[in-house]
Amino acid sequence: MSARPRGLTAGLLVGPATLLVMGALVAPLLLLARTSLNRYDRTQFMVEALTPENYARFLVDPFYTGVLWTTLWIALLTTALCLLFGFPIAYRLARSQSRWKSAGVLLVILPLFIGSTVRALGWMGVLGRGGLLDSAAAALSPGSSVALLYTPFAVVLGILSINLPYMVLTLQSVIEGIDARVEEAADSLGADGPRRFLHVVLPLALPGIATGAVLVFILAMNAYATPLLLGGARFQMMAPMLFREYAVNNNWPFAAAIAFILMITTLTLTAASSAFVQRRYKAA
Amino acid sequence: MAGTAARRGWTASGALVWVLIGAGVFVMAMPLVMTAYISLFRDAVVIFPPSGYSTAWYARIMEFPRFGTSLGTSLRIAAMATAGSLLIGIPASLALVRHRFPGRGALNVLLLSPLTVPGVVIGLSIYVLVVEAEIATEAPLIGSDLVLVLAHLLITTPWVVRLCVANLIGLDRSVEEAAANLGASPLSVLWRVTLPMMRQGIVAAALFAFIVSFENIELTLFLISPGVMTLPISILQYLEYRVDPLVAAVVMVQTLVIAGLLILLDRYVKLSRIV
Repeated sequence: MSARPRGLTAGLLVGPATLLVMGALVAPLLLLARTSLNRYDRTQFMVEALTPENYARFLVDPFYTGVLWTTLWIALLTTALCLLFGFPIAYRLARSQSRWKSAGVLLVILPLFIGSTVRALGWMGVLGRGGLLDSAAAALSPGSSVALLYTPFAVVLGILSINLPYMVLTLQSVIEGIDARVEEAADSLGADGPRRFLHVVLPLALPGIATGAVLVFILAMNAYATPLLLGGARFQMMAPMLFREYAVNNNWPFAAAIAFILMITTLTLTAASSAFVQRRYKAA
Repeated sequence: MAGTAARRGWTASGALVWVLIGAGVFVMAMPLVMTAYISLFRDAVVIFPPSGYSTAWYARIMEFPRFGTSLGTSLRIAAMATAGSLLIGIPASLALVRHRFPGRGALNVLLLSPLTVPGVVIGLSIYVLVVEAEIATEAPLIGSDLVLVLAHLLITTPWVVRLCVANLIGLDRSVEEAAANLGASPLSVLWRVTLPMMRQGIVAAALFAFIVSFENIELTLFLISPGVMTLPISILQYLEYRVDPLVAAVVMVQTLVIAGLLILLDRYVKLSRIV
């Protein structure tokens, strides 16, 4: 390495990956930004223009802003639920000494591999008309029916079951990095469980919590298959709406504008949350 | 355990924790258990309780070649994307951790940035660019392996970089320095010391890259053509119209194969330590 300037070696090593991101992310996004300023025409599809009307159309129409709000609250709710259910599991896994630990981790990893459609299929069987819950209700009191499929509840449940493993794995690795002796120290100083959690474990795990929360938040904002399959035709979230504008209506400029509104919303919120965590950290 | 005396005082919160754990595990496991159960129904319609059980649907999967073809496509794309992202991601993480150069922090952010952009946005933007390229070159690019693999590389490489960087930071640098002091050339240090030491990180990276590519829907959706379809998308399209034991059986076969691979991998490197 000494024969060559070190900067050159580093450049050669990192060059291909940088080129990939520039060519497959930055360049397409720039082109998409340009596309979002074009005009849509029913006969010619896309007309070259320089107009903010696609963005204005989204922001003025309560239907579209409503879809953005729905997406936001679903994403925030599922992120909160992922933390609530994910932390205890991650903690148990991280602190476990048992030989079942790796089986437990495998059981968490496995659902990651199976994809969102599978999770949707399972929930369709549970929640759908003639599904498990519906049939159980009908058996208990004839004539009654429980139709939970095609409701926001079904979508929240579906996204939660997909995102929870990501949260558990992120938190587990962070908690494993926290020295167990710190907790034992708090223990021997008389802190009970909830106090130990609030004042010792939680602050130390905060960076991991932020990483996990940002990860599952982005996944939820981006959810496509779950709202489509579990939310039904009337339930709208941003990703399926964007795809429909592109594939069914062929309105690329408007789809591009939706893409940028979705991206900017996601990035603003994730940046805000990491700024918040960083400030907490400096204060602590 | 030092904590037993103190723990006795908070059984209520302890119970709450176990309720949360139970609910979380239930939410993660239920869809899969349900799918396995449905795949054994005898009837073609999903109604509870079923009139009987049979494994006939598994035998009939072969009668629906589109699942087999799309599985082949998925495996091919995921394998190429995994190999490609290791090829460019490992050198990049070596540069980021082992070299000092101006703009290193910014580059780190740039290489991880595809993870923060929604998949549908990436999909649409690549589609628009590829269409422009098709118009310019008149080559059929939409639905080609080249475009799919390049697009998947964009989302698999950040995972490789992330996991390998984390792995490299944790490695003791003095071993590499010792090898260099003993006269090993930089290349043989890399090949005989650094890369073998990174084994766990690389396996984890390959695993994640494969997952991310194999199950991707949001990005792939924009780049497929009627002839070229990945497995998650053909399952998705089937599910939009019907839920039946056949598609459940397809999903179960996929799951069992992956579970087998994971268990095999777990013998080689402890997954509980690398992920």
